Amino acid sequence: MNIEVGQSLPARIIESVDPEKMKLLSALMRDPNPIHFDRVAVAQLGMGDKTVNQGPSNMAYVLSMLGQWAGGSDRITHYRFRFLGNVFEGDRLEALGVVTAVTEKIDRLEVECSLSLTVMGGAEVLTGAGTVLLPKEHA
Amino acid sequence: MTEDELTALVGTRMPGGSRTLEKWWVTLVLDAMECSPEDGASHPTFVFLVATGSMGWTWNELFDVFHATEADGPMFGETNTTVHTPLQTGETYTVRGEIVSAARKTGKKTGVFDIVGYRLDVLDAQAELVASTTNSIVFPRRGEAA
Repeated sequence: MNIEVGQSLPARIIESVDPEKMKLLSALMRDPNPIHFDRVAVAQLGMGDKTVNQGPSNMAYVLSMLGQWAGGSDRITHYRFRFLGNVFEGDRLEALGVVTAVTEKIDRLEVECSLSLTVMGGAEVLTGAGTVLLPKEHA
Repeated sequence: MTEDELTALVGTRMPGGSRTLEKWWVTLVLDAMECSPEDGASHPTFVFLVATGSMGWTWNELFDVFHATEADGPMFGETNTTVHTPLQTGETYTVRGEIVSAARKTGKKTGVFDIVGYRLDVLDAQAELVASTTNSIVFPRRGEAA
């Protein structure tokens, strides 16, 4: 695989954010915030009538896209994100990445990518960057 | 909370804690986040989850330190995470944390708000630093004059 600055990573589409997954993660993380599992609570906060996805899940969609391209999520050495907005149940999402820098190390390549998550037909909800270390034979 | 009271909290250490990444828990978290089960605990999102889940404060306790509640609508701002060694299923990790920044700002649309930064370090059983995550929370201060 030839890696060049400006190269787009294969996009990842989340067809529909599943509210049952939000309930599961709330339970696993012991997160009492009702916006992730109670539509009435969301409405009372004036946020609409759909539950709100957890921020770590939004990050994970993008990092999984980066990891799949890199040959494993364990090759991700750094990431940073700004949280710009909410993702709601039923949203269709697109995770995107573009190579922004390639640095040759002694035995590996360090590749930096810009990353984003967008609600399709809506707004960008996550923007940031990630770095992966790849074996040279990957290039 | 005054701006002086806010900035005086920089340097406050969190109680910290520890977490063993049991296989059943890792598997279900991966499923909840639409990740491949093959990723295991090395998926880098686990750094954030382990760090924030074992900082020794609940989110409400963290908000309380800054005289805020969930009803104030605190929001995630940014996350900046470095992974030195990917986390491993079955391993036990220790977390230590500290408030590293706190500033009051005013936005034209948002009014007064505080941005609080906290760093969480994740150490393995040999006390080696394996990952570090620095995050920010935005606290709206609707009661404060701009």
